[in-house]
This record gives sequence, structure tokens and C-alpha cells, in this order.
Amino acid sequence: MKLLKICTLLISGLVFWACSSDEEPQVNTDNFDRGAMLANWADNIIIPGYTSYTASLITLDEASAVFAETSTIENLEGLRSAWLDAYTLWQKVSMFEIGKAEAIALRDFTNIYPTNVETIESNISTGDYNLELPSSRVAQGFPAIDYLINGLASDDALITDKFNQDPKYGTYLKALTSRLNTLAQEVLQDWETGYREAFISNDGSSATSSVNKLVNDYMFYYEKFLRAGKIGIPAGVFSNTPLSDNVEAFYKNDASKILFSTALDAAQGFFNGDFYDGSGSGISLDDYLEFIHSNGSSEDLNTLINNQFEISRSRSQMLNDSFFLQIENDNALMLNTYDALQANVVLLKVDMFQALNIKVDFVDADGD
Amino acid sequence: MNKVFLSLIFTTILLASCSDDSDNGPSIDNPETYSFERNGQSTVSFTGQTTRIQMAEELISAMMDFSTSEALQLEMYRNETADGGDANPYSDPALNADNKNIKSKVAASRDFFFTNTSTSSIIKADFEEWISGQVNKVFPNENTVAAPGIAGQIADGSSTRFVNSKGLEYNQLVAKSLIGALMADQMLNNYLGTAVLDEADNRASNDSELLEDGTNYTTMEHKWDEAYGYLYGTSADKTNPNASIGSDDSFLNKYIGRAENDNDFAGIANEIFEAFKLGRAAIVAGDYTIRDQQAQIIREKISEVIAIRAVHYLQAGKNALPDDRDNTALYGSAFHGLSEGYGFIYSLQFTRQLGTDLPYFTHNEVNAMLEKLMGDGDNGLWDVEPTTLDELSEEIVAKFQFTIDQAAN
Repeated sequence: MKLLKICTLLISGLVFWACSSDEEPQVNTDNFDRGAMLANWADNIIIPGYTSYTASLITLDEASAVFAETSTIENLEGLRSAWLDAYTLWQKVSMFEIGKAEAIALRDFTNIYPTNVETIESNISTGDYNLELPSSRVAQGFPAIDYLINGLASDDALITDKFNQDPKYGTYLKALTSRLNTLAQEVLQDWETGYREAFISNDGSSATSSVNKLVNDYMFYYEKFLRAGKIGIPAGVFSNTPLSDNVEAFYKNDASKILFSTALDAAQGFFNGDFYDGSGSGISLDDYLEFIHSNGSSEDLNTLINNQFEISRSRSQMLNDSFFLQIENDNALMLNTYDALQANVVLLKVDMFQALNIKVDFVDADGD
Repeated sequence: MNKVFLSLIFTTILLASCSDDSDNGPSIDNPETYSFERNGQSTVSFTGQTTRIQMAEELISAMMDFSTSEALQLEMYRNETADGGDANPYSDPALNADNKNIKSKVAASRDFFFTNTSTSSIIKADFEEWISGQVNKVFPNENTVAAPGIAGQIADGSSTRFVNSKGLEYNQLVAKSLIGALMADQMLNNYLGTAVLDEADNRASNDSELLEDGTNYTTMEHKWDEAYGYLYGTSADKTNPNASIGSDDSFLNKYIGRAENDNDFAGIANEIFEAFKLGRAAIVAGDYTIRDQQAQIIREKISEVIAIRAVHYLQAGKNALPDDRDNTALYGSAFHGLSEGYGFIYSLQFTRQLGTDLPYFTHNEVNAMLEKLMGDGDNGLWDVEPTTLDELSEEIVAKFQFTIDQAAN
């Protein structure tokens, strides 16, 4: 038996070697149980994530209806709390832009920031808007709600005045929470009515297999939204000067750190296969890398990547709750966090992809 | 091996004899920056090029301003009214006061279009067709979601793009095609050619420092500077333009910067600038051999950048095509890349092959490539096949010294 295994390994090694001049990695030569990993992701992380998230959106939708009906400071506070809960839970599912979420571009309709105040105000005053248009993405989702409930005026009494004086604000607020709710429900329902099975059974290793696709989606999220969107762009990594008003939840001001740290935890949790409810851990990329490592190839990437997540976490813990204030007062700490996140891009996107024989399926658009 | 060794020796001997020659010629004072003076005053002038780049900037931003009219955009292209009267279409009063315009310099080089006004007029009209298409076909569908056969808006990441019924962004066609039709054509095929540099008695007047009336430069110096201005006309420091290369305009400067930032081509911005500087210094010294060698370097490198970007965007478009070809919402990134690619392919007809009077791809060859790009189905880019994009990429790199992979990343 043992001899047979060694022979198989040798032969697959040879096949692999012979194919390695072909630059399109398609043939998976390992026998890691990808199906079990997909099942763990779907059943213990993704579906529970969307379940909690959609529940929080129902609460948010209700709170916005209550506030639109009776615009008191007390109801405003209730609405803000529901908004922050849902926004926080969003951070745990934002990375799973696959299946229906990809088809309807869930993330871009949920969380594009900075939001466009001019478009929001114009939508409200004319009442003539179509939230399904790509151009209206900058006037909806959590960032637009942030403006309505935190940024509309300089204090709470003045914000409630606005809603009391002009019912169009309440109408628009309800349209936004309702749309968030509809989109998320659509994604959850798809997972619950067939997509879960399709996702798990697509357990091969081609470019369109579930593992290859979701690992790419995860990487794209990590680079573009976690690293760049939450830290790099506002810290000025991609511009001549820092853009402190580009932080997430700009109008709330003190929530950017909690949203980031939730997202960072979720990204590491997914890597390690941690159950959404915290009750345990299942098969994920950490095990896959261990498996490859124990078969004699590559470095101990599991440890290296987890260590780098810890470095990112410890550096980000030194940041102010408000990234806006952090950037204004001491941007070096933001850049320090960015560097730690960036170091993991190399480990994940280069080393892990290579170890798992997955090809990167996205390129950075050059942004013009 | 021996042959190689021998030819190396010969080359060395040849090189040595060449450098002997130039030692005997006029000595060239090559400055650190693009600064040339006579009697304590600068002799460098290219305000007309700066003006045209600025006019082109206003035109491409107007094309994305849904409140502008077709008439206004066409006035920005022609700097005159539809009936030929004086127009003031620009937001910058200095541009309105100027009587220069974009259109007369599109496809208007001495070497390529002096006796080919028929092609020149077709090319000039292409830009008008794209401008009119933007206003008449895309603007009315501002709030329509684009679909096969239907113009409208489409998401590209967090950006929103506006495309025609075949998936093309007219504003990208105009911006990227101007890089060839205006900047490269004027530079490579007009001002850097001997037909312009050595026209009439330019050499004699340059040798004797006979200055143009009311100026501090000879005609030949000025022609060379005008070539320079199409690349560096809006640079932050026009004497040391590589300090901000890539961020000074939306045209040639921007994409020299993009090529420079790709490790496979790093150094190219410096090669281009050094050739401009040495060529200008050679004119001051009256060394026309060195001047023409620098012109060749510039022609080669600028042509290469246009080809690199054409392949880059073809490959970016290919990689961005959605897995689910039926999901029309996911085409935006591919369309954006391919619209830029369309413009860079269009620009290939203004490149210059070394030692010839020809572009790397002729007008007809470019048209055939564009027809191929748009021809996989009735709806243009909605139907484009990855193999088509690879074939076009291969067709381009076959004439250059870089690979698809080098251009793609």
C-alpha cells in the first residue's frame, strides 16, 4: 500500500513536472477533499453568515420604518444601532461574492464609499431615481444610510428636524433599507434553494471550480476591499495625499475601526475554516496548505499566513476607533497597518495560489 | 562561434570608427535637462502643443458631461462654429482666445498625409462620428442599463461606464485614438521627419543661427520642440518632465508613464526623454546625423508604447470577460478595457517603422483589425471571443520585440 502511494506520488510528480511548462494550471494532482472543504464553507460559514445578515437587515428595515414614521431622537438612536449591527454583519459575508451575489453585484450595491451626497440629495428632492442602475450605486447601501442618519446635519435634533420637515427623506431611507434587504434575501434564498448543492458538487480544480473561484473572490476581496478600501485608499497609498474622508462609515466617524477589525477577523476565520457561530473549526485553506506541506512541498504557509494576520491585527489595534482621526493625526500608523496587510498579499496571492495550483483570474484594472 | 566572435570584432571596429567620426564632427553640449538658451534667454517654445493637449482634455471631459450638446463638443474639436465662425467652446478663456484647434492637426503629418488627404479626411471624420454618437446614441440612454444592441450604462467595478449598442465607449475611442492621430502622428511623422526639419533652407539658417522673426529660435529648433511638446506640453516641469511622467495629461504622457511603471519596460521614459534632449542639443551643434538617430529612437519607442498598450488592453478585456456570458451586467470591465484597446489599435496606423515611410500597421490593416474585434457577432463586443482577442494580440506583437505576457501585466 505504502509503495503504491509513493509510486502514485512519483508518477503524479512526473506528470506535474511534465505539464509545468504549460502555464495554465488546470490538472489537480493532489487528493485533498475539496468537497468537504466546500461543504464546511457553505454550511458552517457562508449560509449562517447570510442568515444572520439578512435577519439584521429585517431589523434595520423595521427601524427605518419606525424612524421615518416618528422621527424622534430616540428612534434615530435605535435606527443607528440597527444600522451598525447590520453593517458589522455585512463585513462577515462581503468576501463571498460568488453565485447570486456575483450575478447581482451585491457588494457594489451594498457598500460603495465614499457615497455621493449630491446624487442622494437630488434623488430625494426629485423622487426620480432607479436604485437598480449602476450609476445609483454611489447613492445607496450602508454609506448612503450613514449620510442620512449621521451626516445630514450637525446634531441629532437637526437631523430629526430634516426628517420631520420633509417626508421625502424618510421615503428615501426606507427605499434604501428595503433594497439592502431585498438583495441579501435574494442571495440567501439562492443558497438555500439549490446553489449550495451546485457549489459543493463543483469540487474539481478547473478555473471555474468552486474552490478556484471562491479563493479568487476571497483574494480579490482581501486586496481591493480589506487592504485598499478600508486602509490603503484613505491613508493615501494610491494618491498624492491621504484621503481621510474616504474612510468607511465616514459620517458615523467612530465605526471605521470596528468594521475593519470585524472584516479582518472574518478573513482570517474563513482561511482557518472557523464556524460562523464560533463553536468550532472545519476544513479550510489552512488544512489544505498543511496537507500540501506534509506531502513535502512548499513552506509552512499556514503558519506564515496566520502569523501575518496576527501582525496585521496587532498593528491595527493601535489605531483610533475613527480612522478619519487616525489619518488626520498620525497617518504613519495607518500605513504601518497597510504594510502588514500588504505582506500577506504576497503570501496568499503568490505562495498560496502556487501551492494550491490555483491561477489568479483577476487583474487590477488600471483605474482610468 | 568563431563567426560570432569575428562579427563582434567587426562590430567593435565599426563602432569605434563611428565614434571617431562624431569626434571629428561638431561637439555636442548635451545639458542635464531640456533647457536651451541663446543670449541668456530660452530658445524652447511649444505653446501650440500645450494648447492642443488642453483642448483635447476639455473635449474628453465634455464627452462625459451629459449636459453638453453635440454642437458644443464638435466646436471643441474644431474650435469653430458649424458654419465656420469663431467659437468659444472651452471653459478656459485662454483656449477660447486661441485660434488653434484639434481637428486640423488630426491625421495631418507631412510624411503620411501630405498627399493623402482622402485618408486624412476619413480619419478626421471618424472623431466627429464618435462625438456625435456619444451625444445622439449614448446620452439619451443615460438611465438605461446597457444590453446587447442597446446603448446605456454598465458597472465596471465601482465605476459606471456608458457604452453604445455594441459595447464601445465613444469617449475612450476619442481619447485613445487622439494619442495616435494627433500626438504620435504630429511628433513622429511630421516634426521629427527630415521633410519638416530640413524643409527649405532650415539647415543653412540653423547653421548660421538665423532666427525666426520675433523669436529666439531657429526654425529647426522650433520644429523639434513642437515634437517635444506633444508629449511634455503639460508637464509640471517642462525641462525635467520625467519627474511627473504619467500624470500630466490623459494622452501620450499618461501612457508613457504606464509603460514605465511596468517592470518589463522600465527605463523607456528615460530613453525617450534622453533622445529628445540629445537630438535638440545636436541641432544646436549642427550635427544632423545624431539628430536623426535620436528621431529614430523616439519613433521606435513611441510606436512601441502604443503597441504595448493595445495588447495590454486586449488582454485586460479578455481576462475581464465574464464566466457567465449570459449575465449582461458583468461586461463593464471588459468593455472598458476593449474600448481603450480599440483606440490604441486605431493609433497603430500613426506609428512609424524604422527606416521606412510606413506605419507598423496601415490604415487598411488597422480597419481590418477593428472589424475583426467587432465582428464575432451582430452585437460587437457583447459577442467577442477570447480567441479573437488573442489573435489580434499576436498580430501586433509579431511586429515588435515584446511578448503578450510582458504587455499584459
